[in-house]
Amino acid sequence: MKKLWALFFFFWPLVALIVCWIAPDRGWWFPSEAKSPLGSRIDDLFYLILVIVTVVFIGTQFALGYVLWKGATKEEGSEAYFSHGSHSLELIWTVVPAFVLVFIALYQMDVWAEFRVKSYYPEETLKDGPMMEVKARQFEWRIRYPEPGKDLQNQPQPGDLYTVNEMHVPTGKPVKFNLRTDDVQHAFFAPQLRVKQDAVAGLIIPVWFMIEEAGDYDLVCAELCGWGHYKMRATIVAEPEEKVAEYIEQLQADQNYDGVAADEDDE
Amino acid sequence: MFLKNRHFSIVTCGLLLAVVAGCSGSDLPDSFKARFVYSDRTEGLMKEAQNGVEDLPGVKELLDERFGDPQHLLAWSQLPVDFGGLSGTVAETPAGDVVKDLKLNLSDSFTLEEGQTAVAQFVTGEAAPAVVIITGWDAEKSEAILASAMETAPAQGDLVVIGAGERLQTGRSLYMQHCSHCHGTSGDGNGPTAEYLYPRPRDYRHGVFKFTSTKPQSKVSRDDLTRVLRNGVAGTYMPSFVPMLNDEQLYDVVEYVRFLSMRGEFERKLAGELSADYSQDAVDARKADGESYKDIVSELKDFLAEDMADSLEFVSDDLATSWTEADTDDALITPNSPRVPDSPESRRLGRELYLSKAINCADCHGVAGNGNGPQTTIYEKNPVTQELYSEPGLHDVWDNLNQPRNLTYGIYRGGRRPIDLYRRIYAGIKGSRMPSFKNLKDDEIWHIVNYVLSIPFEPEPGHAPLPAGDVATASNN
Repeated sequence: MKKLWALFFFFWPLVALIVCWIAPDRGWWFPSEAKSPLGSRIDDLFYLILVIVTVVFIGTQFALGYVLWKGATKEEGSEAYFSHGSHSLELIWTVVPAFVLVFIALYQMDVWAEFRVKSYYPEETLKDGPMMEVKARQFEWRIRYPEPGKDLQNQPQPGDLYTVNEMHVPTGKPVKFNLRTDDVQHAFFAPQLRVKQDAVAGLIIPVWFMIEEAGDYDLVCAELCGWGHYKMRATIVAEPEEKVAEYIEQLQADQNYDGVAADEDDE
Repeated sequence: MFLKNRHFSIVTCGLLLAVVAGCSGSDLPDSFKARFVYSDRTEGLMKEAQNGVEDLPGVKELLDERFGDPQHLLAWSQLPVDFGGLSGTVAETPAGDVVKDLKLNLSDSFTLEEGQTAVAQFVTGEAAPAVVIITGWDAEKSEAILASAMETAPAQGDLVVIGAGERLQTGRSLYMQHCSHCHGTSGDGNGPTAEYLYPRPRDYRHGVFKFTSTKPQSKVSRDDLTRVLRNGVAGTYMPSFVPMLNDEQLYDVVEYVRFLSMRGEFERKLAGELSADYSQDAVDARKADGESYKDIVSELKDFLAEDMADSLEFVSDDLATSWTEADTDDALITPNSPRVPDSPESRRLGRELYLSKAINCADCHGVAGNGNGPQTTIYEKNPVTQELYSEPGLHDVWDNLNQPRNLTYGIYRGGRRPIDLYRRIYAGIKGSRMPSFKNLKDDEIWHIVNYVLSIPFEPEPGHAPLPAGDVATASNN
């Protein structure tokens, strides 16, 4: 019976090892493969941490199993061994994890900087202004594009174009937008792109991402913002740049619709 | 948008088309069940008018037997609501005694997956109102295979409806999930969250909606309601429901909202017929004048017995006509001439009209468009109770304070397209104190639209756009 318990503790690290081994290939951790280059690097960081904790978990579990096995195989009546701490052992189990943590902290810094620190953003996003303003509101995302050919201003401008719950962005180049909130705190979360950024009242936060593959991507709110939190679903439509230009043109035509133009279909 | 007329053909045959089976809610204890509430007007009637005299039904019963409750919705064929389902007729009288399959002429194509079943109900003929379960469908022979043999055989030409009320049920379920906590189970704009919201959620029961594309006297169209669901209402708590709901679901929710509106309007009008003579207050006054309670009740009984049928017909005809009309092209406001191109001159003319005695937008919206005109400071009389409201300002038909829009914000609840503003001016905002200006010329409305759209970007509040002569000089600078 004693040996059975020792084997039981040996069993779990083996399961953990197998699960962690196959998890990345099966995509068990994430909703799907990251659809943005930075997203893939964020995933890599997750997997690095997964490897580290797996090694640590297996090591400690085997140590635990070993101690149990030793105890289980001891003869009846043998004396217990008492120790009063080991300075060097304590040093090891403090210093080694500290090094691991410092390593992780340093290793992730450029990904973090590229994601969050404005001066490390991709060059294109620094050169061009933000493509649009995304304003979170209980319980929807209101998008404001500048008039084609003009730059986005923080204050609404006469030619601005408005939509709700639908962002159209070009593929294959970094897209920057300003994130704001009209009321409480919300969070811009695009799971497939691995982008998550809080929208904080009073702040205008520049966020960027890049999508390689054309398609529809989810945008949801990731900060419980009220009873209608679940309603804050929107679509990020990634398409070739000329398609986006066409879309903006259509948006402009729709917004200037005066009910007379013959080619318009009034919804 | 995707208006389907096929179900309206059923209108002619029979009052109640089908009882729509409820959701699993029927197993719930009573206190957990959703129910429709009656309006204050109904509750203010004398008890006999509410509940009926002897075997004559009162307002509550008349309402319930036409609309049902959330668990058991009724599809009253008088209403121009797309309740859902396929209608058709029996193609040929089945031969033999045991009817286990049936040839049908259906209004639209019908498919039934393997293992699925559909519920069909006979509306006319000997077999009505039998309900049968269809277990298979042979599209080639257009033949339905029934789960069990029918007791009474139907005859050729009998009307049958498959899946009656499916849309209404879906609409109900979606509405209860996403809409009811603000707009209330009955559509009375009084859900649990309503009291925390400003502006208050719409109370549908007047059958009045603010942001429409229809003429001043017309109801709201399906497209208008769909547009609100798609775009939300900026500046209020009404969010957009796309992409959470797909087109089909939006359509179902719109139908259910129309159903609730019609229920509310029906109740309101019915109670209105009685409230002059039989409201609790009227009865008290009549008793004070020396009439006996017994006489009043017997008078009510006569009314219910003799005049109610006419009233009901009048009210339901009126509902059917007005709600059907709203979806026609005739109801849609379409300007005769295109927008006058935006220019300083047009804006100046717009501002002149805005300030003019005849139109006087400034009376409510203020000289600078801040929504603080003189009308916002007076005390109004409640048109129903004839008492002054406790707070100054304009009031809408829902008795809420009706703040004229601050035009400097650039938030347009009914939409920001020029056509939206045109329609707002042409038809007014229904239910609110914004009146219709349909007698203005197209160009005049467009000038005002151009001016109003420019207000948020004026260099200073109330800035008058330059007169025509100065434009050239200004653009040279």
